[in-house]
Amino acid sequence: MMPRWMRSARVLAGLGLAALMLVCAMAAPWLAPHDPDEQDLLAMLLPAAWQAGGDETHLLGTDGLGRDVLSRLLYGARVAMTVAVTASFGAALAGAITAYVAGYLGGWMDWLIGRAIDVWMSFPPVILSLILMTGLGTGARNVVLAIVLVDWTRFCRVLRAEVIVVTQRDYVTAARLAGFSHLRTVLKEIVPATMPLLVTLLTLEMGIAVVVEAILSFVGLGVKSDQIAWGQMIADGREAVYQAPWNLLAPVLAIFVAVAGFNLLGDGLRRSLDVRTLEGRE
Amino acid sequence: MSLLVARRLTVATRIGGTIVPVIRGLDIALAPGKVLGLVGESGAGKSMIGRSIAQLLPPGFGVTGGTLEFDGKDLVRMPTNARRSLLGRDIAFIPQEPLSALNPVLTIGDQMAEHFTHLGVRSQPQRLARAVTALEAVHLRDAADLLTRYPHQLSGGMCQRVLIAMAFASRPRLVVADEPTTALDVTVQARIVSLMAELQRRDGTAVLFITHDLRLAGRICDDVAVLYGGAVVEQGPARVVLETPRHPYTRCLQLANPALSGPRRALYALPDQMPGLQALANLHGCHFAPRCPLAGPECRVTPPPLSGNARQVACLHSPLTAGIMSPVTLPRPPTAVAADALLTVRGLAKTYRTGTFFRRRDTHAVVAASFDITPGQFVAVVGESGSGKSTLGRLVMGLERPTAGSILLAGQEVTRSSEAARRHRIRTAQMVFQDPQSALNPRRRVADIVTAALAAAGSDKATRARRAGELLAEMGLAPEIAARTPAQLSGGQRQRVNIARALCILPQLLVADEIVSGLDVSVQAQLLALLQRLRQEHAFAMLFISHDLSVVRHLCDRVLVMYRGQIVEQGATEDVFAYPAHAYTKALLAAA
Repeated sequence: MMPRWMRSARVLAGLGLAALMLVCAMAAPWLAPHDPDEQDLLAMLLPAAWQAGGDETHLLGTDGLGRDVLSRLLYGARVAMTVAVTASFGAALAGAITAYVAGYLGGWMDWLIGRAIDVWMSFPPVILSLILMTGLGTGARNVVLAIVLVDWTRFCRVLRAEVIVVTQRDYVTAARLAGFSHLRTVLKEIVPATMPLLVTLLTLEMGIAVVVEAILSFVGLGVKSDQIAWGQMIADGREAVYQAPWNLLAPVLAIFVAVAGFNLLGDGLRRSLDVRTLEGRE
Repeated sequence: MSLLVARRLTVATRIGGTIVPVIRGLDIALAPGKVLGLVGESGAGKSMIGRSIAQLLPPGFGVTGGTLEFDGKDLVRMPTNARRSLLGRDIAFIPQEPLSALNPVLTIGDQMAEHFTHLGVRSQPQRLARAVTALEAVHLRDAADLLTRYPHQLSGGMCQRVLIAMAFASRPRLVVADEPTTALDVTVQARIVSLMAELQRRDGTAVLFITHDLRLAGRICDDVAVLYGGAVVEQGPARVVLETPRHPYTRCLQLANPALSGPRRALYALPDQMPGLQALANLHGCHFAPRCPLAGPECRVTPPPLSGNARQVACLHSPLTAGIMSPVTLPRPPTAVAADALLTVRGLAKTYRTGTFFRRRDTHAVVAASFDITPGQFVAVVGESGSGKSTLGRLVMGLERPTAGSILLAGQEVTRSSEAARRHRIRTAQMVFQDPQSALNPRRRVADIVTAALAAAGSDKATRARRAGELLAEMGLAPEIAARTPAQLSGGQRQRVNIARALCILPQLLVADEIVSGLDVSVQAQLLALLQRLRQEHAFAMLFISHDLSVVRHLCDRVLVMYRGQIVEQGATEDVFAYPAHAYTKALLAAA
């Protein structure tokens, strides 16, 4: 029988959208009709192909430098997806390790990590990431680093509570009494029990990472200026919004679809993998 | 003229497209001022009857046939408004869990005032005056002060008194009490029961008393109806039914309950457990037949009807019932050879620090506990909740760090929590947990759970599989259970798996925390028989933490009585039970 999460419409829809994004990103060189950096100064700000004055070779038109919007969109997906996946895995790893340490050991360690998170979360996340980017300099790797540094607390906070609940189960005590080490107990008894929550958070974080990357690129603090990012495209398209609306609409829609996909997937997984519903079943 | 009458009442639910009855053709009658007990094990459908009266059946369940009349009016087909005006006024309920029945964010006064508003008392001063009177009727002191408290500031027994006060405040004609004392301590239980009896006599209230406890039913009820699989198998005057049962099921329950006095006898362990709803629906004939020692082919044709006058029995073989006997021989404990103590505990104490740095509050969970366990000895720890008996077990297992004192286990000091002490401890002593739901990892297969200790020691797969097979056979579990997950097991099976895990590497000492509480009587009898058999085979010692004195008397050689963290009395079980020395032990025994 198929696992329950495979039968959820939300999960399937989310998986579909996320897969679409990943395919676009990976196959960009083959899918893109033009070189995304190729300028055609004779065909600037072309409208979309189906509009009056559109050009069939430029499906979504061209930007202010005559570059093909569709091709730039596809290449932009590469940065967005790279950042989404690596940043959320990084944040999950950092947050999960601290959460397991704090929740399992408890005591002063828990206190210390808890207070560190309190201080960390008292900074507004957008400001914190802007400050970090100013200090670190632009580049995709630094965007990832900034997101990890800002968002690990989200994982730690939520996961820690769950780890504490699971740690108090008698089967965790029983594992210790059977003679397993602390590390083995955490890895084999606690991690599997909290994995559904971690997976859900991870998926939701991917959506957040897409937005954060777009924000940073929009203000010019994201990826290097020679890389193509959706945030940059929005910033560029803003000026010509009346002549060529697709310059703005295309990246906005792309971000929307990516975030919606990840959120649907996360929400569906949360509903179908929830630990409580699993253990409550008789 | 009866106050509450059920005629051919049938409650059913839908499982996978087929309609499955939960209560089948129930006939009961409760006269004004009488107490009718509904007794039976979990799954017998006794709570469904109480819920049908309030029309608070779980989603998917409904009354599909028959009538349920209160004072001549059918409660099932009555308009909601009419029923609502009866409930809380003429029909009151006393719930099982007092703490969850009270709203934690409202004071007792608020909740009682709300109840009196519902009863039609207009002015607030009057409502409060009525509340004080009601609380005084249940012998709660400082009633006025109590009204300003929140439920969490009261003990479970006090909360239950508040609920009883509210139930009887309207002078109802019928009170439905669903396991009202199950969540309470033994000593508190006795007081609550006598309080209910007192109010019931004062007002001439009829009480429908739902319980799994035969002894309790015998004490408080005028009549009892014994339920099995959603139908009454025997009913009549309480004393007659419970003392000289005519239905094999009642007889078996009687024999499965350990006695508190008289000679110790072996328990009758009914095989298996009550079948699930679906299985029951597919059974032809008598529903008890598959487990019945008297059943013959004639029992499997049609369900026997209830017959008789004052006492009714639904059995073809009821004259033979008295012939069902417990096994004659009680398994004798292996005679203890004079040996060095296996466990020596001296001056053991545990103090919890709470409060802030400036206002420190110390809670003394265990105070200067000293006792010994010799190899093969079963030692019981009894006491009410909060007496420190679970903490004592956890200290012995090294799950809590003692504040003072020493623990010597099989000749080695294990008080300090060094890695060497831990290794020695887990080889020598293992623990069986109270709640098998929480004690078994829901993601593991049974075979992996029971051989976890071997896995930790690095045994290979084949050894573990073999050991898992041996353990399951020893626990009386079918081999195919090895591949199942805990969610697929029944409560009794889970507790067996729980015990099997602790016995995996044959420890010399088992620490068992309330391992038979919360189980049905027949399952409890099976587990007690299992423990006695395992004891004979493996000669392990046990620290048996329990609140159930009759079980302790049945199983254990010595008993430690704990009260507020202190061991107030210890000695051989028979001596302590026959000649209790400490006032608390006497109170405990009087209450049981």
